[in-house]
Amino acid sequence: MTFVEYKMLNPFQRFAYNFKKFFKGIPGAVAGFFKGVGNAIVKFFKGIAKGFANYGTTFVKGDWATKLSYLIFGVGDIHKGKVYKGILFFLVEVLYILYMVFFGWGFISKFGTLGTQATKTVYVNGFPHTEPGDNSMLILLYSVLTIVITVVVFAIYIANIKDAYKHQVMRANGEKPTGLKHDAKEFLDGKYHITLLSFPVLMICIFNILPLIFMILIAFTNYDKQHMPPGTLFTWVGFKNFGDLFHIVDGAKKGITFIKLTEWTIIWAILATFVNYILGMIVALMINKKGIKLKALWRTLFVIAIAVPQFVSLLLMNQMLATNGAINVLLTEITHLFGNEGLVEIQFLNSTPLMARATVVIVNLWVGIPYTILSMSGILMNIPEDLYESARIDGATPFKTFTAITLPYMIFVTTPQLITTFVGNINNFNVIYLLTQGGPSTQDYYQAGHTDILVTWLFKLSMTSQDYGLASAIGILVFIICGTISLIVYNNSKSMKDEEAFS
Amino acid sequence: MIKSYKLRRNIANAIIYVILAIMGIIWVSPFAYLLMHSFRAEGLITVNYLIPHEWTFQNYIDLFTVKGSLNFPRWLLNTFVVALFSCVICTISVLAVSYTFSRLRFKARKKLMNVGMILGMFPGFMTMIAIYYLLKAMGLDRNLVALVICYSSGAGLGFQISKGFFDTIPRALDEAATIDGANKNQIFWKIILPMSAPIIVYTVLTSFIGPWCDFILARIIMGDRRDLYTVAIGLFDMKSEEFINTYYKQFLAGSVIVAIPITTLFMIMQKYYVEGVTAGGVKG
Amino acid sequence: MKTKQLLAMILAGMMTATAFAGCGGGGGTDQPSGDGGDGGDGGNSTALEVKENAIVDESVFGDEDNITLKVWAPEKAVDLTKKQIEDFKAAYPGKTFTNIEVVIQGEDSAATQILNDAEQAADVFGFASDQLNKLTDAGVIQEVAFVDYVTKTNVAETVTSATVNGKLYAFPETNDNGYYLVYDKSVVSDEQAKTLEGILEGCKAAGRKFIFDSGSPFFACTYAFTAGVKIDGFEEDGETQKFVDYDEDEAVATLQAFSKLMHDYKGTYASLGAAQIASGFSTGTCGAGVDGSWNTVPDQKALGDNYGAAKLPTINVNGTDKQLISMFGYKYIGVNAFSKFPRSAQILALYLTGDKCQKERTEEVGWGPSNLKVAGDEVVTSSPTLQAITAQAQNAVPQVNIAPTLWDPMGNLGNKLIADETDPTDTEFFRSLLKETIVNVKDEA
Repeated sequence: MTFVEYKMLNPFQRFAYNFKKFFKGIPGAVAGFFKGVGNAIVKFFKGIAKGFANYGTTFVKGDWATKLSYLIFGVGDIHKGKVYKGILFFLVEVLYILYMVFFGWGFISKFGTLGTQATKTVYVNGFPHTEPGDNSMLILLYSVLTIVITVVVFAIYIANIKDAYKHQVMRANGEKPTGLKHDAKEFLDGKYHITLLSFPVLMICIFNILPLIFMILIAFTNYDKQHMPPGTLFTWVGFKNFGDLFHIVDGAKKGITFIKLTEWTIIWAILATFVNYILGMIVALMINKKGIKLKALWRTLFVIAIAVPQFVSLLLMNQMLATNGAINVLLTEITHLFGNEGLVEIQFLNSTPLMARATVVIVNLWVGIPYTILSMSGILMNIPEDLYESARIDGATPFKTFTAITLPYMIFVTTPQLITTFVGNINNFNVIYLLTQGGPSTQDYYQAGHTDILVTWLFKLSMTSQDYGLASAIGILVFIICGTISLIVYNNSKSMKDEEAFS
Repeated sequence: MIKSYKLRRNIANAIIYVILAIMGIIWVSPFAYLLMHSFRAEGLITVNYLIPHEWTFQNYIDLFTVKGSLNFPRWLLNTFVVALFSCVICTISVLAVSYTFSRLRFKARKKLMNVGMILGMFPGFMTMIAIYYLLKAMGLDRNLVALVICYSSGAGLGFQISKGFFDTIPRALDEAATIDGANKNQIFWKIILPMSAPIIVYTVLTSFIGPWCDFILARIIMGDRRDLYTVAIGLFDMKSEEFINTYYKQFLAGSVIVAIPITTLFMIMQKYYVEGVTAGGVKG
Repeated sequence: MKTKQLLAMILAGMMTATAFAGCGGGGGTDQPSGDGGDGGDGGNSTALEVKENAIVDESVFGDEDNITLKVWAPEKAVDLTKKQIEDFKAAYPGKTFTNIEVVIQGEDSAATQILNDAEQAADVFGFASDQLNKLTDAGVIQEVAFVDYVTKTNVAETVTSATVNGKLYAFPETNDNGYYLVYDKSVVSDEQAKTLEGILEGCKAAGRKFIFDSGSPFFACTYAFTAGVKIDGFEEDGETQKFVDYDEDEAVATLQAFSKLMHDYKGTYASLGAAQIASGFSTGTCGAGVDGSWNTVPDQKALGDNYGAAKLPTINVNGTDKQLISMFGYKYIGVNAFSKFPRSAQILALYLTGDKCQKERTEEVGWGPSNLKVAGDEVVTSSPTLQAITAQAQNAVPQVNIAPTLWDPMGNLGNKLIADETDPTDTEFFRSLLKETIVNVKDEA
């Protein structure tokens, strides 16, 4: 369809067109994503090759100061009059060397083995004393820290060379380097993104990325109960943990648990997302229907469930769902009204897997619907009037308007959100953990119960049974699933594609 | 025809009212139960009736006066302080990151956005040990500063919704300001931020609530420093097998105490929250 | 960091040097018995002499002085522990104690806390026996120096349970971490309390519940143990759970008998958390229950004069009354392997688990002592609870050398017995359930 054709459609048709286009685009998007990943990898290596080439040519073309910058950071800049930057470069080098000498090297040198000297007990005068050995965990953690710092310093090193060469060229052209004041101003305008991003990115690097790398590496070690620092060492085991997860034969519990829990995790995520979505939408429509009064009151009733901290409401729910909890008491009193003697004692959470799973899904409705209502209410109010107008001109009935406009519009607009919720539910730790702790327990699974999803299993493995290696491997797999889904959806969503729509 | 239409509409509305009322009761009743039983005098954990027989303030009084493993006033203060500082840092980070991604154009922007989006998806339990030892290496283990850092460090990753919001602010405003000689910094502070009340409130609200709900990371960081616990760990503890017989009713009272400020805050700010989540959500 | 390490190394070096010097000084005679020799006792722990009230000679401290220690105690025992530490300080007037801090830490989660960060953890900590393997595996618990004394003065099971690979790792503190029968005397008579059938009859008549947490593995293994399927340490590989020989037909019949009672007394035989027992007593919904020693105080408070405690009842299987066999654990005090004052920490742990402190703890907190002398004392014999616990300990499997694979199958067994859809007359079902349970426990996973 050409642009002119598109412009000639009425808003209603235009919308239908966009709607169709989006869903048609999904398979292509998936393919495109993997192609993109492949391209990115190729580009990355090409970039490295190019970097090396540049590295060489700059050295050949450089004057003595630029050449010296290959060894001592900042010399080139200082020589060309960009003193403050040169000093900063130099400081980085000094600090890095100090760091390596006094801290980093001690750890990174043991990175290959993760320590060889085990902690021992020695007797001194008949008294047991501990002779501390290597701590594999700290070696790994601080090695990762050292590697990250090294990468950053290397980037600064390259920047230093480039900068030196840049100023050499500038001097050859008779230009003067800019001063500190000018550069500082630049950071408030042209390079403002660096100013704004530096702090958040620094924090994310230290407290998110670094621990993440650490965790990914843990998946390739035998860090578990028997190999537990500081008392004992752990070491690299390659892909053993992943092997355990994919080892699916009869009797191989870890593999079977992984498959079964993945299955349930996906069922759970689908149920938790879509049932919440549909019911939430229906309630939102009811509240926002023309002629319904007390809209604020209805919304507020639901909003309370969001406002009360989730762990409080879930712990409360857990107690209420007990065999002698409030819900059974309520049911008992209701049945008494109908002349029934005796107690109602439904075991919601610890009898059959089906019952427990159903209960978890239903409680999750209670938790999740208010969120849907809130966001839906806003969106409903935002549906462009002209859509309805054109429908009215076409003579559509209210029901037709709903199925043809309201519903598709909402689905379309909230698809990205829906996927985020889906991914969020794959990782929905609170509801499962606080309600059932994974129970009812079963002997068929390895350290997991019937309602456990992958994250809660991961949590149990790491916190209760100290199976860190296995837990990390699961974490990586969960991450790959979630990351892929979200990347595909985001990069093809409306917001990413027409980012400039309002601009 | 018109009459029957009206009648039909009235019946439909009546049905909707009934459904809404029933649902409203279902949604609110757990909290009503919580509130009632926090004033219960008799029994230890559960009782086999819905409305308490004897009412008392004792649970609340105990909550604030009993010392020992319980130190609720201190926990409340800790949580408040941590929440306050971390929500300031979070808000600044989120606004800075989302403004950057929404308004500034630079190399690697899309890549950074993608990386930022998926980073938050790693199930983080394993990383907690690493975080603990990193903080320890900085001499920050077992204190409240560590908690503030933990809660606010990842804030920059939650930029989607506010980026969506910034995207809806017309670019013409920026351009006009640039022509008037404003730099990017001035545009951010003087033009964009004043227009961003909903999203600021939304961010403040969500980041303020975070520390009240975390009962895992905080425990790992605080270890045996019970005086530095937050209310979430404290309440979780009170419901553990060891203490449930002693402190269950105090747990209920504590839950009410925690729920009140947050709920109030939420009620007041609800309008902004909805605006923020809608504007950001539609685009994001 | 580096300087710290360096300093620590130098200090360690100096300490070793002085220690060797000390050895050389007194090294003329072989194995001097530690009376007053300046840290000059030989290379063997047997030489450490312990005097009355678990006090040692000050020379045992070696060159440790200006001592700083952290002690973990559960909330119930904190005040008492503080007092005992004052006594401890007074017992060693020649030593300076800069600070001995007592911090609240539940015994159930002490291991988790230590594994998170051993350096910041307590030097001396109380823990329950189920965590011992975790602690020894991670190497964060120090071997006990006073082996002879501890072995001599404590109930044998408590010592063997703390011994791993021939080494004693912890000081026994209590001999009570198990469960027993508590009942409301106005509902269940002392006579009825002797049999499971009697208890259920009494509860049913009064419309009360009998609470037995069948879903909790710690409690539910009673069913298997009573059936004769008792665990007996590990197989030769050191990790597969071993069982004693048992008669399968009888085991099946026993499980069936349990299940039949559960179904016959549906609504009375309740599988609820043990904490619900005290709660049920206080609201008059519970008539009896199998409760853990950690809940004794709330149980007593809720029942007042009607409080009754006894060992677990018997169950009638094909005409014979079989005693219920429980799992039984102990509480210990351990010493952090990374303590900066390893000697002082051991001496303090020794003192806290000595007869004097155990007696005080029994009197004030009601814990069942592991010390032989205190166990025969009047405080124990006059307490119905402690009597019940001691009686049950005779009919129990000690909680030691448990494979982690034991728990889930045991919980599953309990859940299956009580499940509505189980038919108590279906013998084949119980036979396969038993087999399945054993297979899953033995699974190396």
